[in-house]
Amino acid sequence: MSDIKIQSTVYSIIIITVFMALLLVYINRKLVKFDPLSQPKGVVLLMIMLTETIDGMVRDKTNDEVAKYLTPYIMTVATYIFLSNIAGLFSLETPTSNYSVTLTLGALTVILIEVYSFKARGAKGYIKSWFEPMPPFVILNVLSKFSTLLSLSLRLFGNILSGGILMSVIYQMLGSVSKLIPFMGQFNIMGVLVAPVLHFYFDLFSGVMQAFIFITLSISFIAKELPEK
Amino acid sequence: MEKALMAFAAALCVLGGCVTGIMEGKVAVKAVESIGKNPDAADKIQSMAIIGAAISETCAIYCLLVAFLIIFILGA
Repeated sequence: MSDIKIQSTVYSIIIITVFMALLLVYINRKLVKFDPLSQPKGVVLLMIMLTETIDGMVRDKTNDEVAKYLTPYIMTVATYIFLSNIAGLFSLETPTSNYSVTLTLGALTVILIEVYSFKARGAKGYIKSWFEPMPPFVILNVLSKFSTLLSLSLRLFGNILSGGILMSVIYQMLGSVSKLIPFMGQFNIMGVLVAPVLHFYFDLFSGVMQAFIFITLSISFIAKELPEK
Repeated sequence: MEKALMAFAAALCVLGGCVTGIMEGKVAVKAVESIGKNPDAADKIQSMAIIGAAISETCAIYCLLVAFLIIFILGA
């Protein structure tokens, strides 16, 4: 047991999972108490708008039957990726800068793609789809499935990791700049002044953007496997 | 000397991102142009442009990752 090393992101994953569960319980309480005839406001309004947006995105590309089961998955993944990406703001280690996490998220999407492909084509058609258009193309088909997995997971990982590394480099640079200012001692005054804007870009904007891109790509990859409307 | 070569190699890797930057700009330009021509299709064009930009960005991210690997694994 002693030579098993626990990665430091595991703790922030646990914290985020617990926080997400508590948040969902809180939102559920609010939604159950909500009177459908009254004017929605606050958390309820936010949740209605978010659900409508994502449900619209899913319904736009797929059909109603698929959307019933796909929308909850997409919303869960979006919430988790968003919370993970902004975890750096709360001085937690960002889980999405650990490749295991993003690889798991990518693998989930790739498995869903295969499941929907199997459902749409049936067992015979699914096996046939691996050998399309000619039997030797099976190698290319297998490679293309792996490249989907790699590109989905590496995009998220690379973006968030590079944001984190850039922020730490900038903090070091600002620290050595603020040492030149007299009377301030070791206090990183430049960091306090400059870093919030960069945090806004690298954590908030990039986090929202990457979560959005991940779910958009997941939806369109899954929609590609469905039969024509 | 070896460290300097590694830094140079990492810099060369990131150079691949330049092309991606230009081409992603092109995606944005074309999206704006087509929204100007056909404002009704703005929603569809927007999502297509984001998907296109995201897929072409993969190349730059691979470059960045290779540079990180060179710096943090070879250089450590």
